[in-house]
Amino acid sequence: MSALLEARDVCKSFGGVHAVHHASLRVEAGSITALIGPNGAGKSTLFNCISGFIRPDEGHIELGGKRIDRSPPHKILHAGLGRTFQTARAFTRMTVLDNVRLAAPSHPGEQIPTLLTRVGASRRREREVTEQAHELLRLVRLDTHADALSGTLSGGQRKLLDLARILMASPRLILLDEPMAGVNPALREDILVHILDLRRERGIAFLIVEHDLGFVMQASDRVVVMNEGRVLMDGTPDEVRTDARVIDAYLGTRA
Amino acid sequence: MSILTSGEFWAFVGVMAGIYTLLTLGLQVQFGLAGLLNFGQVGFMAIGAYTMAILVVKAGWSMWLAAPLALLAAALAGVLVGLPTLRLRGDYFAIVTIAFSEIIRYVATNEDSLTGGSQGTINLSGAGAAAQYDGSWQRFQQWLGGALHIGSKDVVMLIVVWAVAVVLLAATAAAARTPWGRVLRAIREDEEAAASLGKHVFGYRLQALALGAALAGLAGCFYAWQFSFFSPDDFQPLTTFFAWMILILGGVGRVWAVPVGAAVFGFLFAATRFFDFPPFSYLDSADRAYVRLIIIGLVIIGLIVFRPQGLLGRRDEMVLE
Amino acid sequence: MFLQLLGNGLVTGSVYAIAAVGVSIVYGILRLVNFAYGDVLAFGAFAAYFANTTLGLPMIAATLFAMAAAAVLSVALDVVLWRPLRSRKAGFMSLFLASIGVALVLRQLILLVWGPQPRAFDVNPYKVYVIGSVRLSLAQVMAIVAATIAIMLIGLFLSRSQTGRVMRAMADDRALAQLSGIDVNRVIRVTWVISGFTAGLAGVLAGLVQSTFDPNFGFQILLPVFAAVVLGGIGSAYGALGGGLVLGIATELSTWSGFAGGVDPVYKPVVAFAVLVVALLVRPEGLFGKARTV
Repeated sequence: MSALLEARDVCKSFGGVHAVHHASLRVEAGSITALIGPNGAGKSTLFNCISGFIRPDEGHIELGGKRIDRSPPHKILHAGLGRTFQTARAFTRMTVLDNVRLAAPSHPGEQIPTLLTRVGASRRREREVTEQAHELLRLVRLDTHADALSGTLSGGQRKLLDLARILMASPRLILLDEPMAGVNPALREDILVHILDLRRERGIAFLIVEHDLGFVMQASDRVVVMNEGRVLMDGTPDEVRTDARVIDAYLGTRA
Repeated sequence: MSILTSGEFWAFVGVMAGIYTLLTLGLQVQFGLAGLLNFGQVGFMAIGAYTMAILVVKAGWSMWLAAPLALLAAALAGVLVGLPTLRLRGDYFAIVTIAFSEIIRYVATNEDSLTGGSQGTINLSGAGAAAQYDGSWQRFQQWLGGALHIGSKDVVMLIVVWAVAVVLLAATAAAARTPWGRVLRAIREDEEAAASLGKHVFGYRLQALALGAALAGLAGCFYAWQFSFFSPDDFQPLTTFFAWMILILGGVGRVWAVPVGAAVFGFLFAATRFFDFPPFSYLDSADRAYVRLIIIGLVIIGLIVFRPQGLLGRRDEMVLE
Repeated sequence: MFLQLLGNGLVTGSVYAIAAVGVSIVYGILRLVNFAYGDVLAFGAFAAYFANTTLGLPMIAATLFAMAAAAVLSVALDVVLWRPLRSRKAGFMSLFLASIGVALVLRQLILLVWGPQPRAFDVNPYKVYVIGSVRLSLAQVMAIVAATIAIMLIGLFLSRSQTGRVMRAMADDRALAQLSGIDVNRVIRVTWVISGFTAGLAGVLAGLVQSTFDPNFGFQILLPVFAAVVLGGIGSAYGALGGGLVLGIATELSTWSGFAGGVDPVYKPVVAFAVLVVALLVRPEGLFGKARTV
């Protein structure tokens, strides 16, 4: 079965430094793949290449068979790949509800021509979207904050908002950039459960950059390890945990 | 001092405030809604005024057709300016837009055959003929004055400008609350996050730029009708700066703050004319004009330093960064 | 004709280059797009005019006087306005708009004192130097000589002197530079002094080259200067020098008849902007600047 996401030989340099060097990885549909590695390994750069925020110097990235490595971020979302950011980037001057509603695709109210000519359809879509948004907020237990400005949420809550928001766009694959960073342990359990539920109930695949190795080992089907811009290995959590090269790369960090 | 109580004078001030309201509303859409640093707004105003005048005088069009087309021309100019420049960083974009408005002024000054050159619209039909573009407008004003039983031309103009302004202010406020407005606000705050959610950032920015430009074009048409004559010197960068001052004075991001800012600014500007007391009374009129602008410059600086959120903005919403 | 235009371009370009350095270092170190720079430049020209015609000083002394006056003005503005704004953590927009206010006030002050009529320096307008097919007026030669010396001094200062290196470090990474214990306030003072020097010098040179100047000419020069700074890459002083020279030469050469009849000289400023826009499309960070992320 061909993978949902396939990155082949991706290269990106910044002024002579090879941030990513011939990196390849695959994410199968409906699977959870973790991307780990020490700081500076190139994980963020690879993430940004896949999600369209950085243009790779070389390489081939495909989503569901369609090439995306030359596409801008908004088109990549339309193709079915969503992402979150390391520091949750909520629109602080908008309400929590608006943050989620914003992410709804195909809204006639968002384009001037259709806003003016298809007033009824716009209103209907807005009602649909509002309901869906409430549902998603209930899922992450932020519904009581729906009308608050998202700037008032805590860091962990913003991460959940990020998740609810990207779900609104109905992606097939979500790139999670350090979902656990800055989140207290209780909330981490929550997020882990959400990810597993989403995979099970909606068949969404995940590619997760994480430093919390406990989470990684618990949740992932496959683990990709990067170091110094290259992919060291790609295997099951158990395989990775006991691999000598990986242990070496982490310089003795317990896997 | 009798001019202080003259209704005509204040009607004129009110008309200028109305014209600046339209011009600044354009900035509110571009910056308040979409976060664009357009410092060339007067260029779009000039395009609106000149397109209307040229179509009426040279192409013989009816003014009622020429004016909408002038707005379209201004919007189109917005698109043309935005296409190569909207991807630039904010500060570069600001500089390029100033350059744009100066280029427009330059072209207007030097292309005599098209714009009448530095002598202005009176020269539009070439030497020897005093071109006029606002015949229909004058007739409209007279008819309206008759219908409303108002004798003063300026008061009629005041009513028309503000009627149009209020409608457009309401429309803009409504637009900000639509899903379209929501996308713009998101883009303004964090364009990368907006892009990651599927929004075509560039396209939305272009729309905001074009709409703001059209509003400037409308301000240009009203300016043209108010004075019945204009030249390239009427469209200097100072006008854009005044509009920005009004935007800040009222409060960025609040549509209904624009007319408040314009009214206050207009009042202040006009009021400085009446400083008849020493030391002003020792200066001749040319020098007094300089001093007035110094005072306005100091007020601007004071505003930035002490109250950047303007009259109606909130400190925590202060969006000047 | 081509060589003549090249010569003119070098003259214009040198003036732009010197002015551009002043704008660039202020932006690099203070993150301020100084809109008032054009009027400080004009102030310099008028100060020199005062020294030259009223006090009867020769041009060299008048120029030094102008540079000192402009430096004093720049530092005074920092004390009175920019420092308070900095302590209030004013952002880019606030500073930009405030500089517009300052520009307005300065211009009116110059108009108030000297009036709107054009002025000229007391320099022999008939003396001409001929080098091959190129004719240069005394004023233009003075400008080239002064500019060359100034550019060399600036280049040396930036690369060799302790302060120059510190300034470049601060422009590069302010937080890091502060952490390494440099005296930030001193650097800022030096920045304004240099910016004043360049504005004053550029004002005098521009006044010489244009033969007459009025209080508005500072703003007219400011836009091509901004273009030069952006072209060279905002924050890079060397880039500013390069951008100024390129822009000056390109602007003059564009009128050469060999380029399909050439551009109407009246449109030279438009050429400057066209060059800028095209350059930014190709290389958004400027010729010497650093790339923006995304």
